[in-house]
Amino acid sequence: MTTDVQDGTQALRAGVGDVLLDVRDLRTHFKVMDGLVKAVDGVSFSVRKGGRLALVGESGCGKSVTALSIMRLIETPPGIFAGGEIMFNGRDLLRLSDAEIRKVRGGQIAMIFQEPMTSLNPVLTVGAQLTEAILLHQETDKKGARRIAQKALEDVGVADARRRLDQYPHELSGGMRQRVMIAMALSCNPALIIADEPTTALDVTIQRQILELIKDIQTRTGAALLLITHDLGVVAETVDDVAVMYAGRVVETGSVDEVLLRPRHPYTRGLLESIPSQGKRGKRLSVIKGMVPNPFRMPPGCKFQPRCPYQWDDCGTGEPALISLDESISSRCFLHDPRFRDRLAAYDSPMGDPA
Amino acid sequence: MIGFIIRRLIGIIPTLFFSSLLIYSILLAAPGGPEVRFAQNPKVTTAQIAAFRARWGLDQPIPIQYCRWIGVCNTMTGAKQLGDDPVGGLAKLFISEQGLPNFLPSGLGGGDNGALHGDFGYSSTNGQPVASVISGRIAATAILGGVALVVWILLALVSGVVAAVNRYGKADTIITIFNYVGFSFPTFWLGLMLILLFAGNLNWLPSGGMWDVREVPIFGTDEYTQLLRERPVFVLMDLARHLVLPVVTLVFVNIAGDSRFVRAAMIDALGQDYVRTARAKGVAERRVIVGHALRNALLPVVTNVALELPLLFTGAIVTETIFSWPGMGRAYIEAVSEYDYTVLMGILVITALIVVLANLLADIVYAIVDPRISYG
Repeated sequence: MTTDVQDGTQALRAGVGDVLLDVRDLRTHFKVMDGLVKAVDGVSFSVRKGGRLALVGESGCGKSVTALSIMRLIETPPGIFAGGEIMFNGRDLLRLSDAEIRKVRGGQIAMIFQEPMTSLNPVLTVGAQLTEAILLHQETDKKGARRIAQKALEDVGVADARRRLDQYPHELSGGMRQRVMIAMALSCNPALIIADEPTTALDVTIQRQILELIKDIQTRTGAALLLITHDLGVVAETVDDVAVMYAGRVVETGSVDEVLLRPRHPYTRGLLESIPSQGKRGKRLSVIKGMVPNPFRMPPGCKFQPRCPYQWDDCGTGEPALISLDESISSRCFLHDPRFRDRLAAYDSPMGDPA
Repeated sequence: MIGFIIRRLIGIIPTLFFSSLLIYSILLAAPGGPEVRFAQNPKVTTAQIAAFRARWGLDQPIPIQYCRWIGVCNTMTGAKQLGDDPVGGLAKLFISEQGLPNFLPSGLGGGDNGALHGDFGYSSTNGQPVASVISGRIAATAILGGVALVVWILLALVSGVVAAVNRYGKADTIITIFNYVGFSFPTFWLGLMLILLFAGNLNWLPSGGMWDVREVPIFGTDEYTQLLRERPVFVLMDLARHLVLPVVTLVFVNIAGDSRFVRAAMIDALGQDYVRTARAKGVAERRVIVGHALRNALLPVVTNVALELPLLFTGAIVTETIFSWPGMGRAYIEAVSEYDYTVLMGILVITALIVVLANLLADIVYAIVDPRISYG
């Protein structure tokens, strides 16, 4: 690589003191019967204190595994943390003891899951499940925990919170259960909230309410937000920065405006072009051809090469690094390698890039 | 809930009626009968056999026999009650001595014979009332079955949870092998080998029976109760020594099913999203396993255990026979070999009742432990 190519992972790192979560070259692999699945293979990104970052990608790109790795909720075995580090408040989460990581879980990092219907324990009351976390992470007695739980439910807009505490999950609707999950997450004032597809399982009308709620709580409490989603519409409304993932890697990072309006990586461009919109009315929707690569037969070079409409021979020989394009933008594509500048001009023109 | 229980209790009536009819038919279809044991005896004449049959009502039409057994018909026998008017005489069969329908409780003017009135007749081998034959045996069976059930369910819970938590690990493999060996063992062979080793060769434990005949009076008698009151430690230790081998046999053979059941339920629960949620809250692993996963895994287990409860009353036939345990299982085997139909009917119908009640209990317990279940 030439000296022009900087390590793009630095791009999202504003001042060191400002960074809350810094994932560096994370590699989470799974040993399964057929071999080794490198679900996450060199993921780097960081979240500022109070910042909002979205991890975006198709199913199976490793975004959920990344989130679960941060919480150390990957079962080992079959999972293996093969490399990298997850710096959170100056400590590497991967090196904490079980007792130490338990203090982080729920206390400093809280997680909201995709399936509110199954994420709550069916045989315990809402109150029991809320107070369990509060008693673990806060100095209070049962009565105090119940008060905090009721307050948390009220904060997420659950009417009649006192009665809800004594109800079981099956007595609540899906949206209500997700509110309970959010209340659980915020009840211990975490510094970081990880929301893994928090609206995917909900009705469209409820989705917006829940997103608004997460955003509202995030701004009110000042907690940072790591949103995991495949929905670019959700990304546009909710976060400041985006990291696009493909085949266990980050392929593009940048601010929401940059990534959604001027996608640098061909994969991001493909994703955006496959979204139906007003301007495309009447036209055939474009799709990204092919399928996510088989984890046992990854392409040798760029992992997106087999599906990429812009690929050429060099893409098959070596994997491009995450190339830093300016202060906040980076792309893992040879198009942005200074060696292939002439190709970039051709790539940029169909999008009508003025620059 | 109350309404559900009442509905289910009413539903028991036809179930029991048809099962008693079925049991009656099967016994009648079987070759031989209570008089068979006289057939080999040269001193018993044909006339004596006929008199025996008449005394037990075996010469009556089969529907009338059943009708009397169940208690809808009274116990009048022979043509003299039926009289010259067969139709009017037949009607008299359903009327009690107090002039009201015979099936009513005797306090309300009904008869006092038949299963409906708690009268299962008399044993045709020793003339004892069937009810007292059963009640004399049921305590012994409940003691053996109860101890074995408690031991094997506790062991099944622990081994099932350990196996599920260490799935495919060393502990799981050992428990699985142990379960399959136990499950495949023939009870009679295991029992005999235990007797041979611990009672025969090592002489540590008694080879059978429920009490030491040299020191302790017969179980269930007043003398036994009196000795139990005077020297409780001695009597209970004696009972415990006699319990060891049959309990070990029952546990070893029966643990596999429940242990595998707990393991499967636990593996299922541990893979659920709410377990991940609990871990994400920072809950300690032990509490995740016991408080979240096991709490859910117990739901199907509780049902399974409730369905095993009839064993407390019906007895383990093979184990009781091998260890000469004076319980229901042995009473049943003895009744079968003696063609003691009245005792057989009594045991089988009470067994049917207990099985039906255990099913109802399983449903009720399920609704109590699982908040999602409610019977409207």
